[in-house]
Amino acid sequence: MAQNRWQDARALAKSGNPSAALAELGEAIRRSELDAQQLERAGALARKLIDGQAKTTLRIALLGECTTHWLTNSIAAIALGDGRQVALHDGGYDNVLQELHGEALQDFGPKIVVLLPWHRPSSSLGALADQLEHWRGVQQTVVSRLGAGIVQVGYDWIDPGPDGYHLAGAPGGALNAIRRANDELRQSLPKGSYFVDLPAVSGELGRRSFYDPRRYHWTKQPFSETGVDWLARHIWAGVRALVSGPKKVLVLDLDNTVWGGVVGEVGAAGVEIAESADGEAYRALQRHAKALTKRGVLLAAASKNNPADARAPFLENPDMLLSLEDFASFEANWQPKSESVQRTAERLRLGVDSFVFLDDNPTEREEIRQRASGVAVVDTPVDPAEYTRALTRELWFEAASVTREDEQRAEQYQTEATREKHKAEHASLGDYLTSLELRADVRDIDEADMKRVVQLIGKTNQFNVTTPRYSRPELEAILSLERAFGMSLRLRDRFGDYGLILLVLGRPAPDNTLEIDSFLMSCRAISRTVEEFAWGKVLERARALAYANILGVYRETPKNQLVADLYPRLGLELVSSVGAERRYLQSVQSASAPVSFVQPVTPAETAVAAAPA
Amino acid sequence: MIAEIQDVFRDVFDDDSLVIARETTAADVEQWDSLMHVTLMVHLERHFGVRFNSSEVAGLKNVGELVDLVSRYVEAKGRG
Repeated sequence: MAQNRWQDARALAKSGNPSAALAELGEAIRRSELDAQQLERAGALARKLIDGQAKTTLRIALLGECTTHWLTNSIAAIALGDGRQVALHDGGYDNVLQELHGEALQDFGPKIVVLLPWHRPSSSLGALADQLEHWRGVQQTVVSRLGAGIVQVGYDWIDPGPDGYHLAGAPGGALNAIRRANDELRQSLPKGSYFVDLPAVSGELGRRSFYDPRRYHWTKQPFSETGVDWLARHIWAGVRALVSGPKKVLVLDLDNTVWGGVVGEVGAAGVEIAESADGEAYRALQRHAKALTKRGVLLAAASKNNPADARAPFLENPDMLLSLEDFASFEANWQPKSESVQRTAERLRLGVDSFVFLDDNPTEREEIRQRASGVAVVDTPVDPAEYTRALTRELWFEAASVTREDEQRAEQYQTEATREKHKAEHASLGDYLTSLELRADVRDIDEADMKRVVQLIGKTNQFNVTTPRYSRPELEAILSLERAFGMSLRLRDRFGDYGLILLVLGRPAPDNTLEIDSFLMSCRAISRTVEEFAWGKVLERARALAYANILGVYRETPKNQLVADLYPRLGLELVSSVGAERRYLQSVQSASAPVSFVQPVTPAETAVAAAPA
Repeated sequence: MIAEIQDVFRDVFDDDSLVIARETTAADVEQWDSLMHVTLMVHLERHFGVRFNSSEVAGLKNVGELVDLVSRYVEAKGRG
């Protein structure tokens, strides 16, 4: 069975059907059906089949002090298993500076550059400082010359060398130097980079399996086949963290996943969750899930149970660590879980491709794989003691940084439930919106906002008219244009703070026209007339900058139907429609601000908000 | 033995029509460069459940020597 998908994909490729071959390969990889050797071969095939010319292809370059041939193939395969067709540029053995300053890499135009040191850091402090200075220069050049994001791999050791473990770990020893080098390498990274902690990564697998010293002698590549596979997964997790951020939702089954036993049979007090050998494993998962919510991951229950039974342990069993309030969505019914997942996606206004599904039952996992494709399904081990390790091993929640918005997200979704209830109590939408007491704080994007703004650009899919995925340097380049601006909007209402949820980038276009380069908003602020309020501010800005017209562009994607009629709603006129792109114009002079139920924050409120806590 | 090795060649080079003989050298097979040579060796190791020495992998002149090398290891394994 497993071999078939891999062989089928090869056959499809030979019969001249690259897209079907890639789909089949992706499915085989997603289902972990390929071993490390096959995965590398699959990546080589995928790279041949992927049309690297397509503009939408994510472009990644590897620059290493060792040979990166196999690693490059394996990264292509793992990306494909994650639903991404990527174009890769292999810099070759120890070619970092030549590549960095050459034409080939610039022509390739990478969005992400992976840096992989291998020469041992010197244990002499002076020489080590020189090596680190070299990498600092490389990092800066990646940003300044290529405008690309960085995945920096750290140094590691295969063995402690002639000093042995004890002495090598002391100041002046080889292991000590490597640890210091990694700390400094990480600190020198530009903001918005990802660091692969190689000693941690190789340590998880074990260095005896991760490295194959023979291969370094043969072709200057120190990793075993499993090591290549493992490292490629971590590098891809870093790329994913930078380009699309971590997964947003963890869908949890309840019986035999969150607690031991079937609650409908043993009752709320009878489920395994107490501090016993069996219960401890489930407690560990609950503790892990609860900690994930603090990082902005939303929990969603999907259980085949009577609704009251599923809730009972949370309400009645004192040993439970998770509470009902930890869940942003709770589905307990007897319908297929793919339907529960779909409803959860609608409720949270998130795509299922940001979901991770954990369930002890292989039948349910298969149902999700087939009927809710895009959901990441965890290969759940039989023993609950291994649940948390399985969950972290797949690296779905790897993030480059945690913003204040992430920390508050779970709370915001709970507040959203309160708002929904409030909505039902108000007759008209206008009454309801007025009663929310929506207040917007509009500002120019500043240094402090950058991290959140780049994150919002990277992951907003639905309310996003043009969907550019700017890196931080790209964004800074736009903002530095004359008569350009970047406007951020923070929103709150009587129930809570939404945080920074809207962004407009404006830049000059010919004929004294202001082009709206980007207009995007987090989904949690939809249906509150926030975009109308923001447009009023855009008009004010266009007048202040003495523009005659505003040009709005809508580029259709599979996910942004929500804003297909945004510009007509805001009073712009359609002027052209070519392919997936529609262009709209508005005369600044005759335009009026659209109706909105959002009020600006008053100066007094701003002062309160800005005061130190 | 050579037929079984040929299967591994076909898998690695993704070419079902590839035919090898004892006289075949790297120059005769498209894509058989130094990097693919290592890929081939580690696939052979995996297939036959053996592990070559560094120098053995580097010193092979043609498929004949490769067949002899693999046979030696497989026989040693059978005796062990």
